[in-house]
Amino acid sequence: MIEEPYRWVEAIANRREYIETQLGSGSPIVALSYAGGILLLTVGRQKLFEIYDRIALGAIGHPGDIERLRMAAIELASTEGFTRSAADVSLRRLAYYSLSPVMKNAFEQIYGAPFLARLLFVEIGSSPEDDLFLGLEYDGAISGSQPKEPNSRFAVLGGTKASAEQMEQFLRQEHRDGEELSVAFQLALDAWTLGHSGVSDTGEIPPREQLRELRKQRLEDGVIEAAVLDRGINSAVRYHALTATDLAKLSAS
Amino acid sequence: MESRMQPLELGASGLEDFPALLRHHGLLSPAWQTGPAEPPKDFKPTESTTILAFKFADGVLVAGDRRATSGNTVVYDRADKVLEIDRQSIMAIAGVPATAWEMARVLEHSFQFFRRTQLQEMSVDGKVRALSKLLRDNFGFALQGIGVVVPIFATFDAKASPAARLYFYDAMGAQFEATDFAATGSGSPAVRGILYYENTWGKKPLQKLDTDDAVVVALRALDTASEADTATGGIDRHAKIFPIMKMVSASGIRTLPEEKIAELFRKRVA
Repeated sequence: MIEEPYRWVEAIANRREYIETQLGSGSPIVALSYAGGILLLTVGRQKLFEIYDRIALGAIGHPGDIERLRMAAIELASTEGFTRSAADVSLRRLAYYSLSPVMKNAFEQIYGAPFLARLLFVEIGSSPEDDLFLGLEYDGAISGSQPKEPNSRFAVLGGTKASAEQMEQFLRQEHRDGEELSVAFQLALDAWTLGHSGVSDTGEIPPREQLRELRKQRLEDGVIEAAVLDRGINSAVRYHALTATDLAKLSAS
Repeated sequence: MESRMQPLELGASGLEDFPALLRHHGLLSPAWQTGPAEPPKDFKPTESTTILAFKFADGVLVAGDRRATSGNTVVYDRADKVLEIDRQSIMAIAGVPATAWEMARVLEHSFQFFRRTQLQEMSVDGKVRALSKLLRDNFGFALQGIGVVVPIFATFDAKASPAARLYFYDAMGAQFEATDFAATGSGSPAVRGILYYENTWGKKPLQKLDTDDAVVVALRALDTASEADTATGGIDRHAKIFPIMKMVSASGIRTLPEEKIAELFRKRVA
């Protein structure tokens, strides 16, 4: 046991550095609202998941850790939805009450393994004002909210803080409420490209044409994965993954 | 009830399926396997009848009357015994609604839980088996004569051959795949007679019927069943209560609008 407090702080700092390095190369995830709901997009191996009728998850990190957290979230939401009703399943409670304390605990127990995972949960509401974006860090920290300002309904997950910040900056400039899915899709891909390309020293965002060029290169060895939470669908389950056919159509637009 | 969203014990449940998860949390009654115990003499569980299903040109049509009875009392005349379980499956129930609706709920959540955790749809065989397991778990109740459920399960899997699948069960959980039609509940003898007759000597075999013709056959069958069986509601001509009908086909599940049924009833049944 580490007796002295400063040793503990040091150990935590080392651990943070180690995790950040591990997560650094993760392919970013972009979630943004469009006219009919919320689009989630990434490139690479499967990282977008259905948690419950109205809740989706995107994750960066170690597959084993993501899997444990994902399963836990599904179990909790399913049990709640079964005993009460689907309307009583709340992402806020799931994140704050159930997941965050466990992740914080694992992170601070320095002789145990932390979760090598960074999560982005998205919950679709009955109207865009009720949509909720929540980021969950490996140390249990929660970020995000119900965006109220116009054109601010988006959230990103990056391998590094700088990558996430740059994507956010880009989306703050470019994202508009109520766009078509095809427009949102192109924007999400541009944001992903930006987040994946590493940040320029100046922090400046390259023009769209240059991004498109970059995007072509990046997509050569990656497969796009996208899913939507569809507000208008005639079913309790709002989540569905976009098929290869859907993606081809959207990519062509 | 305390909140179910507890702080986590990750990996505590080690679950194989959704019912196991519910049992882990004490939310699903364990499988009682006690011997026969008589229910109180004057206890008459609410029961519902009659349901039928048959394959027609587009898929499977499932229909059920609306009556729920307890002994010779009519408890409810707008019961819904034909339930949508997921985008491809319909379950219809004859028997005690208290048990049956709970079973339908467990089943619905099981399929979704499987899809979400395993990242693929449960196979048709898996779904059919899941219902079978629930019935087996309920067998203690069935033996006591207070929780008998005899369901029909219909599903459509475009990739399989045949694509339309129809199963009926006994109260112990044995599953039987029907080639053309199935009916359970107290009015079912009459229904089976009609469906057999239609299929063999009718204008067309059931599997060749279009939607309208299929609805008419189902209406006539339920009307006939209610003629001799007081527990079957059939068609209530005064209150304009019509059977519930759902069909599952390549395009998913469709609930027939009441006006459509009413119109066909007026034109070709009444």
